[in-house]
Amino acid sequence: MIDPVTFGLWRGRFGFAAIITTLIFIALLPMGGEAGSLPGPDLMTCFIFVWMMRRPDYLPLWLLAGAMLVSDILLMRPFGLWAALVVLAGEILRARAVLMRELNFLMEWAVVSGLMLAMLLAYRFGFALTLLPQVSLGAALVQWLWSVIAYPAVVLFTGYVLALRKPSLGQVDSYGRRF
Amino acid sequence: MGRKPNRDIELAGPFRLIIVGVTVLGLLALFVLWRVQGPRAETFRANVTDRIAPALQWASAPITWAANVAGDFQSYARLYEQNQQLREELRQMKAWKEAALQLEQQNARLLDLNNVRLDPKLTFLTGVVLADSGSPFRQSVLINAGARDGIRDGWATMDGIGLVGRIAGVGEQTARVMLLTDTNSRVPVTIQPSGQRAILSGDNSALPPLDFIEDPSVIAAGDLVVSSGDGGIFPAGLVVGKVVLTEDKRLRVRLEAQMARLEFLRVLRSHELDPITSTGGLLALPPIQGPPAPTAADLGPATAVKAEGEEGAAQ
Repeated sequence: MIDPVTFGLWRGRFGFAAIITTLIFIALLPMGGEAGSLPGPDLMTCFIFVWMMRRPDYLPLWLLAGAMLVSDILLMRPFGLWAALVVLAGEILRARAVLMRELNFLMEWAVVSGLMLAMLLAYRFGFALTLLPQVSLGAALVQWLWSVIAYPAVVLFTGYVLALRKPSLGQVDSYGRRF
Repeated sequence: MGRKPNRDIELAGPFRLIIVGVTVLGLLALFVLWRVQGPRAETFRANVTDRIAPALQWASAPITWAANVAGDFQSYARLYEQNQQLREELRQMKAWKEAALQLEQQNARLLDLNNVRLDPKLTFLTGVVLADSGSPFRQSVLINAGARDGIRDGWATMDGIGLVGRIAGVGEQTARVMLLTDTNSRVPVTIQPSGQRAILSGDNSALPPLDFIEDPSVIAAGDLVVSSGDGGIFPAGLVVGKVVLTEDKRLRVRLEAQMARLEFLRVLRSHELDPITSTGGLLALPPIQGPPAPTAADLGPATAVKAEGEEGAAQ
């Protein structure tokens, strides 16, 4: 017999894994943009932040690090760099989970946008440090802008379709304690 | 119930901090390892991709089918218009066909006169595109032919008309083709008819620029760009594209291959290349101590004549 709280926990984790897998497969479909076309939003990062902002307990460290490492390998990125940045940003949010729960949406949006920009700059810094060729800052910023625009849509999608919301007052975790 | 306290909620504890720190540092160490041990890491990546390739094929089949149906439907909508256009083109093509036949005969006669031997090893095999790079900033595709089909790193890949890229990463049943537009792609080319050598270096734009041109003034927009065969990686004389002059006053190349919709790719089984085992050792010749010995090409006006002679042979 599975109690509903544990069920919710694993549903959240499996939901996250399923979304990341789907996004990787969609990205790999051979109908992606031609070289030079403007990049779209980085939906994977949006989903991670949505999960982290709402239910960090649905996104444990091992799942986040594992999913990002797999996507690094499959999406032709350098191994580990983007994964490290995502884990770092995610843990920064998790450590402030109590504060984040109090934020209204506009503040949350601002925090996420800022974090995404910081990750982008750190990523480019990592590339520059190891002398890797990288895309123009303009294209990277366009992608960031798209991600910022896409974030509310991702929030609505997860809120209404996947029913992932912030825990309400008095809700208990899988150990029977209040958030 | 005898459970331990939830570690996910006990956030700020030093234990948690250590775990996060170790994870992040581990990932960064992996990045450094990837940077230092590039070829080995890419082999690992190719093997992982190889594992998921069957799933990819399965997943992408219905979606590519749907996209093709949508494309077909659009073309039905303007069938009449297309028909007229095709008739018009057919009329022009007939004239071209005559010209081509005459030229072919002439070419055969001239080759015969010159005693030219074409490279008999230049055969090809065709692969179907399974997946692309998955990132807007990397330009590569995955094809369904790999080491078991004899594909080797570095071989040239065409789409039937023009050069598309080269093999970079071979798995057992898949291989990755780095496109000419990727930021890592560098291909030595010759610009005809001037015979200037240049490097076509991808920059993630649709029109990759030409670098290291000796004398840009003799190059005009519309000139033909073919691979030069320098460096021994590519066969010489593969059509790459046409020179264009963009608004930023740079000479770029409009690629002849249809990069927007790559479906079938030809891998030219050119010749056995040395396998890539370490970084940097890919193209560099063994180091020469002191200044290089002067060759015939360095000695005065013979240069241009020699270069043009090679161009003729390349065609």
